[in-house]
Amino acid sequence: MITARRMLVLAAAATLAIASAVSAQTVDTSKRIKVAMVPKLVGLSVFKANQQGAEAAAKTLNIDFLYTGPVTASAQGQVDVFNSLIARKFDVITTTSNNPTQLAPALKRAMKQGIKVVSYDSDVSPDARDFFIQNTEYPAFGKALVDSVAKYIPADSEVAILSSTKDATIQNEWINALTAYMKTAYPKMKIVTTEYGQSDPSKSLTAGLNILQAHPNVAAIIAPDGASEVGAAAAVQKLGRTGKVFVTGCSNPDAIRQYVKAGIIKASPLWDEVKEGQLVMHVARLAANNALKPNDTFSVPGLGDYTVKDKVIIFSEPLIFTAENIDQYKF
Amino acid sequence: MSVSPTVGATPGDDLTMAKRRRRLFSLGGWELSLLVLLIIVTTSFGLGVPGFFDNLSGFLAMTSNFLPFGIVALGLSLVIFTGGIDLSVGATASLAAVVAAQLWATMGLNIWVASLLGLAMGGLLGGINAAVIVLLRIEPLIATLATSFIYTSAAVAVAGDSPPSGFPDAFNNMGSGAMAWGSFQFPYQLLIFIPLAVLFWLLVTRSAFGRKLVTVGYNSEAARYSGIRVPRVLAAAYVISGMMAALAGLVLSAYYSAARADMGDVLLLTTIAMVVLGGVSIFGGEGRMGGVIVAVLLLGLLRQGMLIAGFSDMVTSMLTGAILIGSIAIRNIFSTRVGGFGKRLLALIRRPAIAGPDATRHDAP
Repeated sequence: MITARRMLVLAAAATLAIASAVSAQTVDTSKRIKVAMVPKLVGLSVFKANQQGAEAAAKTLNIDFLYTGPVTASAQGQVDVFNSLIARKFDVITTTSNNPTQLAPALKRAMKQGIKVVSYDSDVSPDARDFFIQNTEYPAFGKALVDSVAKYIPADSEVAILSSTKDATIQNEWINALTAYMKTAYPKMKIVTTEYGQSDPSKSLTAGLNILQAHPNVAAIIAPDGASEVGAAAAVQKLGRTGKVFVTGCSNPDAIRQYVKAGIIKASPLWDEVKEGQLVMHVARLAANNALKPNDTFSVPGLGDYTVKDKVIIFSEPLIFTAENIDQYKF
Repeated sequence: MSVSPTVGATPGDDLTMAKRRRRLFSLGGWELSLLVLLIIVTTSFGLGVPGFFDNLSGFLAMTSNFLPFGIVALGLSLVIFTGGIDLSVGATASLAAVVAAQLWATMGLNIWVASLLGLAMGGLLGGINAAVIVLLRIEPLIATLATSFIYTSAAVAVAGDSPPSGFPDAFNNMGSGAMAWGSFQFPYQLLIFIPLAVLFWLLVTRSAFGRKLVTVGYNSEAARYSGIRVPRVLAAAYVISGMMAALAGLVLSAYYSAARADMGDVLLLTTIAMVVLGGVSIFGGEGRMGGVIVAVLLLGLLRQGMLIAGFSDMVTSMLTGAILIGSIAIRNIFSTRVGGFGKRLLALIRRPAIAGPDATRHDAP
């Protein structure tokens, strides 16, 4: 009798093992774990969209989920939060960093205590995290940015760039990528100036007005930052250049909806922040289970298949918001 | 702020001065209440919040998260004692740290030599503040606000596109490391802070300079007439404040193993809160160093404890603000010098006619 039951259990276990090996989808959720999501700052709608996705995924993955972060976008504030999470013995810390280097010592302390660190959106130094989920590949996003305006302006147009800050890693990567793509795809197009709006709405507006007034021939502003895209679009509207100057960038749909409807922004690439939040939780779960190798593949139900390469996971292709589809996205 | 020319030395002032001077040596009622509060906060977090006090080493290690604020608070206290303010401490910390880091990164200077130069830089920046205040006769509030803009911009310029990071481990240890005796660990930051705290306490309570400092803040005109070289005392206070800010900046860059131009931004408001909560009058001339030191530990541990207890940064920041308002209100109500609410209320009830000029005298600064 006992042996029979044991046989049955063994058989069941074997079937399970085979099943999981075949589909590679079954995540071990037997142990409840504590996972924290630390955004650059609390109260920003893109990060809230991440939270929304993460919270939903956490429920299915047996995760105690905590969303916490600093009030202002400061690395110090994030380090304070990390220190508290270390003291509270969290299993996984997920974060998008305000600054790659300043966060490293605190995160390394966490890793030393066995806490897994997953960064998403903005990376930290590679030695201070276990995995990094990159929003999109830089070349793909650079291409999407250029295509979002180039279709609507003459091929020999003047284009301006309005970025966040001079040392913003992602923005600089995108600018490099879009410049490279523009050279091959639209060789006659010219970037006449690059300004910085410091991720601040009013400074971005001022910078946008400066661009339009100093360079009257500019036909498009590429503003790869949430605040600067809005600032550039507002500047176009303020100076009555709607239809003559097109704007694109990287902002959440709620912030740019009115400008998309007004025709100032024809297309604007981003990615699905809600789904990205889900992916972050899945990776956190896998990391806590020690089920993910630095070079690996895995799949997430409802999201798709992913490849881990040197601890980096690319989340998705850019998602382009246009007047047609923007109302489907609310974040 | 430092000078209120309408105030003459009244006969009563001599008496209070003498009384106050004697009290400077001991902990007063305010400092004792802070100490009691510190003990209550620490024990209740220790008992109620898992992770706050797992062992002594871990508890002490937590102080590394806020002691740079304490270092700034020590220097800033001297300035506030004189009735001035130094709004440039954050910018000074950033600039000194960035300059030191760049000397190390680009010129290949030894990190400790670079740090010493950074410290000297802090003194120099403090000296500039003093020069603007004393020679150009600009109010400390405006002067240091202006220089903080200049220092911040300079720090951004020096830091460049990719600010230096990844310092040698020996340097990083100053910020986040600890001395180990067996399993017991004592953070280097505390090793820096404790002697400094003692030094500043002695400086204010036991040295001629300390008395001059407080006298200048209490009544700068009277100080001048009694032969104190007010500009020299002011200059010393701002130079020391600049050096302490620079030291805090260096400790911060060791803590983060990175120097950034915006690193010192968070220092200013919290340190002012610490100094004021410590019982130093923002009008100058009143307060004790012991109170500031206790306030540093109180605000620091309170914040750490609340973060570990799971309160968000938002709540802890709000609480800091509330504590600041509460503490000043309580002090004003009971203060004999600043025309507090309680005193005014009493005056109104007793002799309404006299209350007027007395109240304006104290509201003026």
